[in-house]
Amino acid sequence: MRTRLRQFGDRTFTTVSGLSVLLLTGALVVILGPLFWRGAGAVVFRGTVEFRRMQYDMHGRGNKETLNAESDQAAHVRKDAYDLLESFAAGIDTTGLQKEARRIYRQFKTQLRNKVENIAITPEEASLLKSVGKKLRNHLLEAYETTKPDEAKQSLDFVLKHAGDENLAGSVAGQFFDMARQYLQIVITVDLTRREEYGETLNEVQEIIRELLGPRPGEPLPELSQFQYGATRWDRAQLLLDRLVWNEEWVEQGSGKSLKKVRTKRAEQFAGTELAGLFPMVEQNLEKMLCPQRTFYWQYFIDDSTPGHFFGGVGPEILGTLLLTLLSMVFAVPLGVTAAGYLVECAGDSRFVRVIRTCINTLAGVPSVVFGLFGLAFFVLYLQPKLGLPKGSSILAGAMTLAALVLPVLIRASEEAIRAVPRSYKEASLALGAGKFRTFVTVTLPAAAPGILTGIILSISRAAGETAPILFTAAVALGPIPETLTQPTRTLSYGSYDIAVGDRIAALVPHQQYGMVMTLIALVLVLNLAAIIIRRRLEAKLRGQ
Amino acid sequence: MPNTTRQTGNASKAVDFDRPLLLTPGEDMTGYLTAAIGKTLLLAVTCASVLAVILIFVFITREAWPFLTSGSLGELLSSSNWYPAHDSAAEFGALALLAGSLYVTAGALIIAVPVGLLAAVFLSDIVPFRLRQIVKPIIELLAAIPSVAYGFFAYLVLAPWMQENLGLPSGTNALNASLILAIMAVPTIISIAEDALTAAGRELREGSYALGATRAETLIKVVIPAAHSGIIAAVILGMMRAIGETMVVWMASGNAAQVPSPWWDLSQSVRTMTATIAGEMGETVRGSQHYHCLFALGFVLLVITFTLNLIGEYFLSRARRARGGAK
Repeated sequence: MRTRLRQFGDRTFTTVSGLSVLLLTGALVVILGPLFWRGAGAVVFRGTVEFRRMQYDMHGRGNKETLNAESDQAAHVRKDAYDLLESFAAGIDTTGLQKEARRIYRQFKTQLRNKVENIAITPEEASLLKSVGKKLRNHLLEAYETTKPDEAKQSLDFVLKHAGDENLAGSVAGQFFDMARQYLQIVITVDLTRREEYGETLNEVQEIIRELLGPRPGEPLPELSQFQYGATRWDRAQLLLDRLVWNEEWVEQGSGKSLKKVRTKRAEQFAGTELAGLFPMVEQNLEKMLCPQRTFYWQYFIDDSTPGHFFGGVGPEILGTLLLTLLSMVFAVPLGVTAAGYLVECAGDSRFVRVIRTCINTLAGVPSVVFGLFGLAFFVLYLQPKLGLPKGSSILAGAMTLAALVLPVLIRASEEAIRAVPRSYKEASLALGAGKFRTFVTVTLPAAAPGILTGIILSISRAAGETAPILFTAAVALGPIPETLTQPTRTLSYGSYDIAVGDRIAALVPHQQYGMVMTLIALVLVLNLAAIIIRRRLEAKLRGQ
Repeated sequence: MPNTTRQTGNASKAVDFDRPLLLTPGEDMTGYLTAAIGKTLLLAVTCASVLAVILIFVFITREAWPFLTSGSLGELLSSSNWYPAHDSAAEFGALALLAGSLYVTAGALIIAVPVGLLAAVFLSDIVPFRLRQIVKPIIELLAAIPSVAYGFFAYLVLAPWMQENLGLPSGTNALNASLILAIMAVPTIISIAEDALTAAGRELREGSYALGATRAETLIKVVIPAAHSGIIAAVILGMMRAIGETMVVWMASGNAAQVPSPWWDLSQSVRTMTATIAGEMGETVRGSQHYHCLFALGFVLLVITFTLNLIGEYFLSRARRARGGAK
């Protein structure tokens, strides 16, 4: 019995410890899985015609003829939706008409002023006409704003009474009458009371349609590139379609309870109106409207991005990361390898050497954010002004901070590599008459080179992933591609932080967020895999001999 | 200097040295000098890391000095009112920040130590060599993932999940940060603890087996006690990793400068020293009291990690000595 109990305990222990390793493997999968899966979406996705149009506009990629043919085809299908929306919006969405009325009145005033200057009319006449014009405008605006057909008709009648006014004939104010006549038609045919009911939702629908299909042809292009194109990706289009078809509301479920999400079909909201047909129409024809195609957007890794990373890639971030890490290696590798060589070959176990080792360990234990503070205090605020370099954070300062950070890693790895060189190598060299120095340079170092290279690669991967040390010394979230080493740069690591936490626009485009961090992890993992492979080969070689 | 050997006359005679193998400085002054100068130069280069450590201490202290000498150090370590950006009555009570660091570190260790230790035991004693060749790189990959990527995961994947499935008011809290920190500290703990366990030696294990102990008994009662110094060092180094970590806690801990109440409630937001430095340094005016205060926080962090490092070193050297003694 006792034996069985002990055996059971033994097995349990084995299982539990095996489980802990399994747990770690699971953690790796759980963490990397979503980051890679969703990050891959930044590179491989179904791009729409809007995406191809953007690529052509921004980078001149793609064939103009096929693009135009596609655009025409898409525009043809889209036209029905636009027409439907426009005819429904008449009578409901009058903000455009109101704006137009105000614009006409302003034009009318300038016209009057010109006439006075040309002495065509007296100032008194002009002010009289101006007040008439103002009255017309106000009545027109009232008609546009009211939801009661009678009131609207009254106001419009008032406007139209002036249509025969000779003083106004031939002036800009004549346009008021055209507008009034048109709107009178609408007032008679359309139920104005719907405006209150549909106004807001209609705005939302128009907004979503604009996001989905881009600005309507003929509309002036918005300033920000973010709004110049419709949905560039099929997955985003689907999301927008969902928002178009379903209306989401958070409804209170009584006091103390949390809000509950309620989804209703928009088609039901608009039931009985011609707009109800819009939703199934867009749903069915979305493919034809956007022509999605499988796209492999490898240029993601070289393209610059638009503000907020809404479109584009991570090219400048990759460049900045490479610049920073390689420059830091330029500082750290000579120091690290020399130090390792000294510690292995020349130093015994004196008190001073022990102090050096303690310092290396201390350096390895300093928190990365303290490195950042140090970089700020020493390199940026102390050394840069002393050397007459421009103020502020710079790649140079960041690289030196990172060099200090990876120095211990580098020294340890190199030390291990040099120590692993078989004694027989050195003894053979010494026996041939080479001095200690020559032996080290021509025999030990080449033999240790793969190991040292592993250390360097691991240091690069460490430096590339660090964020806190470059927060105050080299990194910016936005900015041009640096031209000199005295400018700050964007990096993948800080970019990953900023795109996740700091950037509100980026929160709209998750694939961009995940794409950035995927690029960073992929870079680091590739470096690590390379290191592991080199080490495996080295181990095999050393075992073989 | 190479010792030149010359064969004298006939080949039947073996090697014969006509000058001593080792030259005294008097006999080969230039050789002696180049060697000495070269050695000194190498030593100077090697001292770069010493210099770096000294510079770090000097410059962090220098920037923290105005704050430390202004008499606010007492406030820093006794009050938990952290209102550094207040115009007229700025308060610098970092107790809540210290507590925040303590919470996430403790939370991380509670998870990471058992898991890491068990995994180390598994790797050193249980797993067959071939499987070990696969598992070891996986754990190394865990260590290689950049901290900002962990933070990204915590903020955009884990936090929403927690909020939805655990019914917490906010997904960014001490628990979230602790979980991620634990995953980050585990590889450090495993690699050092595994070294210590392997170093405990075959003889010890075989002796125990010979007495009839099972593998679990051998490991728990013999091997782990024998390797305790190394294991303690592993835990301390894992703790250093957790306490100095910035990006993860900045993104995952919620950044509310408060001491959780009740004290055991890890599902509340906390704010750590590292996150405070990272988050506020960008917004302070250079030379202001707030700026110096952040450096003072950095100084406190530096002192904590330095002390932990020395303790870790002590245990590591003890482990090394025990190993040396056993042989």
